[in-house]
Amino acid sequence: MSVLTSGEFWAFVGVVAGIYTILTLGLQIEFGYAGLLNFGHVAFMAIGSYTMAILVVKSGWSMWLAAPAAVVASAAGGVILGLATLRLRADYFAIVTIALSEIVRYIATNEDRLTGGSQGTINLAGAEEASDYNGEWQRFQDWFQGALHLGSKDVAMLVLVWAVALALTALVALSIRTPWGRVLRAIREDEDATRSLGKNVFAYKLQALALGSALAGIAGLFYAWQFAFFSPADFAPLLTFFAWMILILGGVGRAWAVPVGALVFGVIFAGTRFFEFAPFTWFDSAERAYLRLMVIGLVLIGLILFRPQGLLGKREELVLE
Amino acid sequence: MTNLLEVRDVVRSFGGVRAVDRASLDVGAGSITSLIGPNGAGKSTLFNIVSGFLRADEGTVSFEGRRIDRLPPHRIAQSGLVRTFQTARALGRMTVLDNVTLAAPRQPGERLLRNVTRSRATRLRERDVRTRAHELLALVRLDGHAHEFAATLSGGQRKLLDFARVLMTEPRLVLLDEPMAGVNPVLRGELLEHVVALRESHGVTVLLVEHDLEVVMGVSDQVVVMSDGAVIATGPPDGVRSDARVVDAYLGVEA
Repeated sequence: MSVLTSGEFWAFVGVVAGIYTILTLGLQIEFGYAGLLNFGHVAFMAIGSYTMAILVVKSGWSMWLAAPAAVVASAAGGVILGLATLRLRADYFAIVTIALSEIVRYIATNEDRLTGGSQGTINLAGAEEASDYNGEWQRFQDWFQGALHLGSKDVAMLVLVWAVALALTALVALSIRTPWGRVLRAIREDEDATRSLGKNVFAYKLQALALGSALAGIAGLFYAWQFAFFSPADFAPLLTFFAWMILILGGVGRAWAVPVGALVFGVIFAGTRFFEFAPFTWFDSAERAYLRLMVIGLVLIGLILFRPQGLLGKREELVLE
Repeated sequence: MTNLLEVRDVVRSFGGVRAVDRASLDVGAGSITSLIGPNGAGKSTLFNIVSGFLRADEGTVSFEGRRIDRLPPHRIAQSGLVRTFQTARALGRMTVLDNVTLAAPRQPGERLLRNVTRSRATRLRERDVRTRAHELLALVRLDGHAHEFAATLSGGQRKLLDFARVLMTEPRLVLLDEPMAGVNPVLRGELLEHVVALRESHGVTVLLVEHDLEVVMGVSDQVVVMSDGAVIATGPPDGVRSDARVVDAYLGVEA
């Protein structure tokens, strides 16, 4: 139980929740605002992480240039996906996005020379040379810790991630109240009606995808910085569905529901790691790992049953057509 | 009278079926024109072609002298030709007011990057748009519902909301797809008054689809009758009603 009382552990949980917040904000724009069913969101996080790492290690870019370039690459990925598939009906679009995220992951696994292959970024510079993209970030993190007199590097990361996550949440929350956001919401409600009022629905959907993907790319950057190493296995489809859980848990269509959902999800997910009391002690550790997933599932089902609109959602909106 | 809309020899097939077969019609500026015909006559298909929601296989559509048959729906709407749908399309989880303000043209704040700068032009335009939206909601007597979700409105109120929304776009030609379908007789009368007011008070030309000739007799300047994808008669209501082909193809069946 000692881990549960350690600040370090909860700082870690907080950092991951912050990264999930940024990732899920992208889905909030795409689905919560514009009604786009994207089940391949994690692909754009992968594009962000990999673009940054590859530019630093292989092209010798400064991390400070590579990071914005990676976000642009993620957004461009969203635009390319949109140009190819947005004319599909919603359900077909959803299927294509799943395929896309798997394609991205398979490319990362198999294009060894570009991505380091299944061994991940440790192998980026080739087999002989251990590679590291994270030096500049580490120095920045140290400087930031010192400047703010923070207790540890973990706390420094926690502050950085959440400063960015909350700033982005505020921007997303403001954007929906603009005339631009009004058009997005109208598209979510009825595309043809929106078209008939003179709005270029395709262009707005493309913008939503580009922004959502850029947010996933930013999440990818923090993921890469936090773990200092990653491999294609880190971008499995499961991560997309974590983001969906957070979105549904928090409340669809409300920006501030995203950090709340991410924190609740993070605490449930991390807390269930430490079932070191009866009845869980009746099982061995391998069994407990599965038990944990079952408990998470039950908690989510319970939440959906009793608050189907999410923690911050308005229930009456659910019954409106 | 000059023609605002000219449809020439439009053809559209679905599989082997010619839904619209060389249909031509004119809508005079300032007129109320009714497009009638039995179910399956091709009215809705022609309507969708004119508004850009479907492409014609052959033929041309011109609005104010410019070809529009290759334009996407939003460009046609922007040019001043705005349609409604047979079932009123209220945007349910938006407020009634937002439903109307959405329709406003020339809002620079609809461009994403304009919002980064929070431009003054956006705010000024939004103020005007809101004032106008409240006026239009008062016109259709929905001003009391401005801040409710549109999904809470009744079917008839949604039809009225459609009117307010269409007027917000500042149209020159409005295409109404069976505006009186599925509403009670009292509201039907009210809607008909709004159709007339479109022209009388707002100077808008109207083309409306209806399958019941009697409904539109009193208000139409011109009636276009379709049957089996073709236009079989065009003229003033009285003339059309006594046209033998119309009686055979259409009125005979229904009466």
